[in-house]
Amino acid sequence: MNKTPLLEIEDLHARVCDKEIIKGFSLTINEGEVHAIMGPNGAGKSTLSYVLCGKPGYEVTAGSIRFRGKNLLSMSPEERAREGVFLCMQYPVEIPGVPTATFLKHAVNAIRQHHCLPELDTMEFLKMVREEGKKLGIDAEMIKRPVNVGFSGGEKKRLETLQMSILKPALSILDEADSGLDIDALKIVAEGVNALRDGRRSMLVITHYQRLLNYIIPDFVHVFAEGHIVKSGDKNLALELEEKGYAEFVREK
Amino acid sequence: MAGLIQKTELMGEEIPWLSTLRKQGLEAYQKQGFPGAKTEAWKYTKPRALNADDYVVNTGKKQTDFPSKEKIEGKADVFEPLPEGYGIYFENGIFNPAASDLPQGVEVLPLIEAVMLRGEVKDRLGKLVDLERHPFAALNTYYLQEGVYIRIEKNVTLKKPLIIINHTAAGRENLFFNLRNLIVLEEGAAAGLIEYYHYSSEVKSRYFCNVVNEVFLEKNSALRHYKLQNEAFKAGHMALTIVEEKSGASYEGFCLQKGADIARNETRVLLTEEQARAEVNAAYVMNGWATLDTTTDIEHLAPCTFSEQLVKGVVGGDAKGVFQGKIRIAPHAVKTEGRQLHKALLLSDTAEIDAKPELEIFADDVKCSHGAASGELDEEQLFYMQSRGIGREEAKHLLIEAYLNDVISKIRDENIRRWITSYAHSSAGE
Repeated sequence: MNKTPLLEIEDLHARVCDKEIIKGFSLTINEGEVHAIMGPNGAGKSTLSYVLCGKPGYEVTAGSIRFRGKNLLSMSPEERAREGVFLCMQYPVEIPGVPTATFLKHAVNAIRQHHCLPELDTMEFLKMVREEGKKLGIDAEMIKRPVNVGFSGGEKKRLETLQMSILKPALSILDEADSGLDIDALKIVAEGVNALRDGRRSMLVITHYQRLLNYIIPDFVHVFAEGHIVKSGDKNLALELEEKGYAEFVREK
Repeated sequence: MAGLIQKTELMGEEIPWLSTLRKQGLEAYQKQGFPGAKTEAWKYTKPRALNADDYVVNTGKKQTDFPSKEKIEGKADVFEPLPEGYGIYFENGIFNPAASDLPQGVEVLPLIEAVMLRGEVKDRLGKLVDLERHPFAALNTYYLQEGVYIRIEKNVTLKKPLIIINHTAAGRENLFFNLRNLIVLEEGAAAGLIEYYHYSSEVKSRYFCNVVNEVFLEKNSALRHYKLQNEAFKAGHMALTIVEEKSGASYEGFCLQKGADIARNETRVLLTEEQARAEVNAAYVMNGWATLDTTTDIEHLAPCTFSEQLVKGVVGGDAKGVFQGKIRIAPHAVKTEGRQLHKALLLSDTAEIDAKPELEIFADDVKCSHGAASGELDEEQLFYMQSRGIGREEAKHLLIEAYLNDVISKIRDENIRRWITSYAHSSAGE
């Protein structure tokens, strides 16, 4: 079967506040694949996710990132999102005063507009949110509240998953999606993520622990240490790491 | 030369007390002179642009034609329509007789008619204004003629608000007009009042609208007062509202300023008896080179009185927002509460905010607080929205709307809230 590359990262170098964090990182994700990136704290996992989304302050000094063959680095954060890059954030941002429903509707319609689809009216939008929300245990009350304000850790992650379900990105990047979740919440989030696996959509799961990968089973596992990939394998690599830890990949300091 | 002081023919010159009052206005203005940078109350807002010498004072001689209702009420296709109410119309500062029918228990008269027909006007008019402290109110008093007298009878509750609309359609001339409103709510009366200042889109003149409202709230009466200042972009707008409250009375004020080149909306509340309360909220939204000023002065003159103020501003371009807020508590005014908060959002490096909160507390056993904060849009919040596909400009709009909603949501009447919101959001962040 011919594989179509979705994301191609080549020899990426990036820095934050003059400190080089990503040093020669390369990875290709094809359509339909789920890749997990595991690594010790401070390896630059979150930096990688922000670089992919174009967060200001994260400066790429060398290398390239192509998304469906287009130069991702020349796009604004919103253009990347409209093209199909989605970051499920470790610490979703609170936005006082902006109702969750308003925020979601603007996001959905911005993306639909980009793909030349008619905007959803309020009725159509609410119907979709209700249906998708139900699967994640998100009720109508929750989406009336301001974005993430006063949400518990679990609620925040469920809202991230809801956004993923309704925006249907080609590439979902999950940054420590399991942090702060109890096992029930984790299962709900994982089900939401797995529901998007249709053989075409791809995922990049960034995690410190193997636990999440029991629920979102990756096709490939990469060990990320000191700014680049030091080892790649299949899902069994995650189990191996769980047992042995990251010690062999980290230089003594 | 035809500056701010001109010799004009006004109605009612034959009434001695009115002539005296006008003369007092003139003298007080001449004594103070035009406020300059050394005048403490005007050190942030420098109104010198209003001290022009080419004004045409509009006292009604030239006003013969009045535009259609649609023109008067504004662009309903762009903004939410004006809430339903009883319209009182002014064109270029001159009373337009096309008033609405009024329900029982409400009297609305052109001020000059009320001066002639209603004896009590003499006991009220000018009584709340300290001419020596307010140069523009002194000018207003010198030209005292146009405006409206509103009286809500005892225990009457108005279902719909009264709406004073001043529409300006000045041509090339720089009109100068003075409006003076006298508002009396008798014991137990309750009403809503909207003041709406706007212009026809072609107006580019440097007209100057100078307003004084004197508001008397008798025992247990309640006034909800909403104002929208949307003057033309080269215009000047000075407004002073003074409210005197008796026991158990309540005043709920909200003012959105988004127009004019230079404007001040000053609200002074005198809480003279127990259980009187006032809420004075405001918002300002501007760009360009405008200076918009919100000044408040709340005097607690009796025990157990309450006041609350929330003022929020959004300032972009080279514009300047000014907030001067004063809470004064008299020595015997124990068990009073006064709260004040001013917050501003700066959208550019050249935008400016000057805030001067002042508390003068001469009593023990009071609860008082004030706060001021200014900041910029939160980059984390913007990025979060962008990362979901929302354009940066749209994301800014959403954040600014949320910022302003905080104060606009204090407007209890839904139709009025929606109307004000449509104006606040239309100009936010451009």
